[in-house]
Amino acid sequence: MATEEYVDAGAAVPYATLSVQVGKAPPVTKGLTHERIINARDEPDNWLTYYGAYDGQRYSSLDQINKENVGKLTPQWVFQAGSMGLHSGASTYAWEASPIIVDGVMFVSGWDGQLWAIDAANGKELWRYKHASPFDVSLCCGNVNRGVAVADGLVFMVTLNAHIIALDAQTGKKVWDQTYGDVRAGESATVAPLVVKDMVIVGSSGGEFGSRGHTDAFKLETGERVWRCYMIPKPGEPGSETWPEDSDAWQRGGGNCWVTPTYDPELNLLYYGTGNPCPDFDGAVREGDNLFTDSGVAVDADTGEIKSHFQYTPHDLWDYDSTMEHILFDLDGQKLAAHFDKNGYLYILDRTNMDPVRVVPFVDRIDWGEVDEKGNATPLRYPDKEGDPVHFWPGPAGAKEWTHAAYSPQTELLYCPVQDVGATATRRRREFIESIPYWGAGVAVDADDIAGSISAYDPRTGAEKWRWRRDLPMCSSVLATGGGLVFAGEPSGEFNALDAESGDHLWAFQCGSGHHSSPSTYSVDGKQYIVAPSGWGGWAEGFLPKMLGSSHGSALFAFALPD
Amino acid sequence: MSETDVFDVEQLNIQNGIALGRVLGSGKIEEAQEGPDGTMTGTIRIPEDELVYEPGVLVMPHAGKIELTIINDDKNTHCAVMPSNGDTQFLWLVNHSKGTATLELDGPGYYWYGSTTGNDEGRGLTGAIVVGGDVPPEAQLDRPPQPRPTV
Repeated sequence: MATEEYVDAGAAVPYATLSVQVGKAPPVTKGLTHERIINARDEPDNWLTYYGAYDGQRYSSLDQINKENVGKLTPQWVFQAGSMGLHSGASTYAWEASPIIVDGVMFVSGWDGQLWAIDAANGKELWRYKHASPFDVSLCCGNVNRGVAVADGLVFMVTLNAHIIALDAQTGKKVWDQTYGDVRAGESATVAPLVVKDMVIVGSSGGEFGSRGHTDAFKLETGERVWRCYMIPKPGEPGSETWPEDSDAWQRGGGNCWVTPTYDPELNLLYYGTGNPCPDFDGAVREGDNLFTDSGVAVDADTGEIKSHFQYTPHDLWDYDSTMEHILFDLDGQKLAAHFDKNGYLYILDRTNMDPVRVVPFVDRIDWGEVDEKGNATPLRYPDKEGDPVHFWPGPAGAKEWTHAAYSPQTELLYCPVQDVGATATRRRREFIESIPYWGAGVAVDADDIAGSISAYDPRTGAEKWRWRRDLPMCSSVLATGGGLVFAGEPSGEFNALDAESGDHLWAFQCGSGHHSSPSTYSVDGKQYIVAPSGWGGWAEGFLPKMLGSSHGSALFAFALPD
Repeated sequence: MSETDVFDVEQLNIQNGIALGRVLGSGKIEEAQEGPDGTMTGTIRIPEDELVYEPGVLVMPHAGKIELTIINDDKNTHCAVMPSNGDTQFLWLVNHSKGTATLELDGPGYYWYGSTTGNDEGRGLTGAIVVGGDVPPEAQLDRPPQPRPTV
């Protein structure tokens, strides 16, 4: 070793200081209250919350970009995230977020604890936050994050290791940090938080590791916990009669809340979709309906108490999470919720009590079972005998994945990204060990004989109004706009605009990597933008193994009409 | 090279042995020191011509802040790009230099860091920081203790 005095290398500096980031954002989220989010659709220039509004419609009244001029849409800027060093899910990261936009500032999360504030007019990075995520955290479905929430001068994001953090929206500096999941129990967090009243609401991931699913609420200002609601009841609690007696099954029963709920301010109810029971495919160790897995669950926003529910797939044996959104809308004097389930059926529910109003299939091939017009399910094909392969449609990714449908009050139609993909599951019983995947089967999803579409449905009848057919399943969220348009990204990278009334294809742009995210729209200085994260990855072996070899990518595209 | 040489483990732990670089995950394991106020400290060196951080694995007994002293005893320039909540921390390390890095890590779990110049990371300059402990009780699941892996 040399003996002369060392050169002083100084102290390590934040990486962002070695970039052209601005370092500060304007104070756009100060004064952004619960009341403003309730009325989010009154300020269409912004995209204030995960679905654009509490109702989950993913609809904006912005109409500058419309059927007549959408063919001229061009990229205005591109923000590139990239990937650096050894991080968890190094081969499964994907850009799954929905960007939030407030008065010209975009807040968007990437994967692996990344969050940026971006100038929404030109793509310039204003600040960044990077949460250090453990390399060895359990992730069923890749290194992903679905977005952030904003309110009262703060930005909220969950981290892979199940923290909810609050950042100063002007600087990106951390204000508070709460742990709400146990990484040693296989839990993680990927959900976009939801701000309701003075709370920020999150949910857990980890249903493939035998966790006990829950949703949690924290005070916006301090991070103090307000409530926790488990979706698997303990013995003696309502719903516990649907689990076997004298069994540990409820302790690792799944039912995770890994997708953002919708919210009805008038009823003060949060509408959750809950995840699969665990083990996913071996039902013999958890006889019964297994509430509240695979359910739509209405939860009191103030107390976290379950008020009502509807279970889509009782005693699931196919990994049919029901985590996907419940779209809230009123039609003909009825308060309704629309839910496209993994099991291939569209459910229109009375959201005051979660009773089904209408149930119709929305994908061509369903043979796992049948569901009648009242929502009663009869299983037909499922992994039952040890070592006996069983093929079924839809596969475990479902006829619709977590990516979101949309509802346009202009056309009164629902628009759904449809996946027509089967799979083979072979039951393989295993003992439960904390933090080890707990599926109870070997699963191979079909790579051939697959299809997809963007399909439009009339919620009054359940009838399909049009279908834009694709060779590949569609697994990116849909966006509907007042310009009479429906936007949807494809796994092969194209970002498309369709006529909302006819389904005619009007425009496409190849983004260079597949879409598995939720596009948003906003306006700055009178100019409407459509923003779409492009970055293929995630649980592709589960929803589209035919595209496992596609390039990852990591770009955020903002489109607008030429000046 | 004979078959016997192929299985000489020591040849995996040097530069230009069996492989071109030193296989990641090798090197010494050390535990960080903890002061009375809970602040943890540790020292990491880059030895001459080995293209590794020593220790290769630094263990923090629990989540929190760690103050690192990082010394480059090599006759080439390297750096350390290290994980920390807020932003990744960057320290440039010219030949025969010494610097510091303060990291906030909220494990449990482990984190890689590396020297992001040329392919230092691939040659061996990729180290790990392990954070032990459990998450706070209020974050744990309300259920009886569950069986954990024993192998």
